[in-house]
Amino acid sequence: MNDDEDLELQALKRRLDDAFQTTRPRAGFEDELWSMMQARRPLWWRVSDFFSGLIASIREAPAVPAAAVAVVLVVALGIGIIARSGVHFGGAGGESTTSGAAPAQAALGSRYAETFGRLPVPAAVGTSAPPKLTNPPNDTGAGPAYANAYAGPVNLVWAGQFTVSITSAPVYRYLEPARAEVDQFATSTGASRQTGSYAGNGFVLAVSGTNPASAREPSYAITPDRSKLPAPGSTAVDTANAFLAAHGLVPMWPYTVTTTRIADVVRVLYLRQFDMPDGGHAYLVDPAGERYGIEVDMRNGQPLQALGPMLLYLDVAVYPVISGDQAVRSALATSANSAASNVPTVRLTSVELVYALAIAGDHSFYEPVFLFSGTFTQNGVVYSKRVIVPAVSQ
Amino acid sequence: VLADRPPFEDLYRDFLGRIYAYVRAQVTSSADAEDITAQVFMNAYQAYERFEARNTTPAAWLFRIARNATLDHFRAHGRRERLRRTIEHQPVSEHDPAGMAEERIQYRALLAHVARLPERQRDAISLRHSGLTFEEVGVLMSCTEDAAKMLYHRALKALRESAREEMA
Repeated sequence: MNDDEDLELQALKRRLDDAFQTTRPRAGFEDELWSMMQARRPLWWRVSDFFSGLIASIREAPAVPAAAVAVVLVVALGIGIIARSGVHFGGAGGESTTSGAAPAQAALGSRYAETFGRLPVPAAVGTSAPPKLTNPPNDTGAGPAYANAYAGPVNLVWAGQFTVSITSAPVYRYLEPARAEVDQFATSTGASRQTGSYAGNGFVLAVSGTNPASAREPSYAITPDRSKLPAPGSTAVDTANAFLAAHGLVPMWPYTVTTTRIADVVRVLYLRQFDMPDGGHAYLVDPAGERYGIEVDMRNGQPLQALGPMLLYLDVAVYPVISGDQAVRSALATSANSAASNVPTVRLTSVELVYALAIAGDHSFYEPVFLFSGTFTQNGVVYSKRVIVPAVSQ
Repeated sequence: VLADRPPFEDLYRDFLGRIYAYVRAQVTSSADAEDITAQVFMNAYQAYERFEARNTTPAAWLFRIARNATLDHFRAHGRRERLRRTIEHQPVSEHDPAGMAEERIQYRALLAHVARLPERQRDAISLRHSGLTFEEVGVLMSCTEDAAKMLYHRALKALRESAREEMA
């Protein structure tokens, strides 16, 4: 390399250094991105940060009596946490857990928390209703394929390993939506109020409040006009995504997607989850222990109807969770403890922390519960048994 | 936050501009650079709990995430990008406000030349001039420090030739 070449390369390096050092994002990008990252942080990170700050301040003031510290923790948690049950933007992702949030969407699902006091017991606790539908053989879902559910009395034995290790978990609360909120929700889907119902261009919308009989939160059903359907997508999930997106109904909470087939109807399920302290997620289950969320039914690749929970503001408070031993004892306490020969013995072999709805008048809660499961064989038939016990210590 | 791990806010403040510049040197629009940079820091934020300072430097860790995000971008948009680069000898002009603002930056044309280099050469130049050592560049590019140096110098010469051709 001659001297000129060398000098030329040295100059080029300097220009590159300058180029990289002077290339910066536009003004405001740094703040925008930081805000977005904060909005997308899982709830538990924010709780942890809050605790860290609080504990640090307590350490700096050691003279504070322990009882006063406890009160401060409870009260501060109540007022200091911004609640979000998990939000989502972007497309759905097959079987994987997805979460995220556009800033505008994040604001919709959050509200400053309060403490909730003593919680009602979820409707799912102490019931043993069979699932609505046994998963068919071609189910591609992430959820377990349960055998026939058994609703009769059983003797219970715990034969599994308790793998849930969290010591506290968020509880979410919503207030029953007022007419104005329902109208607002309808408008967000593109519908407007008609006589006794809602309708938009090429679809009708029905909204119902919390249903104690089925233990379901306020929900919507959106039915498209079959004559105005777009061309089917490449997969059922793609079509369902597009249908939900067209009405602003893509889930804003974490979820997994699964599909089932019932005769000629393909059902795309967006199974709802809640953020957990360990960074994982816990499914929402109905009183039968079935995971649920949004259901989009399709025939011939085109949507028939979508059913799902109405978007609601959620308050949040963090509650302590009972120990594994306590949970097992609670589960076994539902045992028939019968010596009768026709009462089968079920070995509960698995446990999962999930969320269940607890209805309490004009407000309801999503509470963490332990879902125990086991199977047994009787007369050559394999049955499944689920037991749901509250996870909150109170 | 562990004692050996700086607060993420510090990393964000220190590296946002550098990561953006690195990404911007790879892609043809500032909008793409912003999207990728946002993805980089989102991913980094979520993974920061697993970052171990004793195994790597924060710079190398962040640039690895940035490199992967940029490669993901090219995988998703690669064909279109390659076609665009083949057809157009000039960098794509941008008519959006952000792009017009960026036109004022003196070295944009130089970075456009960098963006047209072959992938590994482009990476070597971008990583090196984003402040990484040759050792860090080598680790990120799965080669030795010496190989990273050689690659960088070849890239530098290719860049010079590219600029000369345009001037000619």
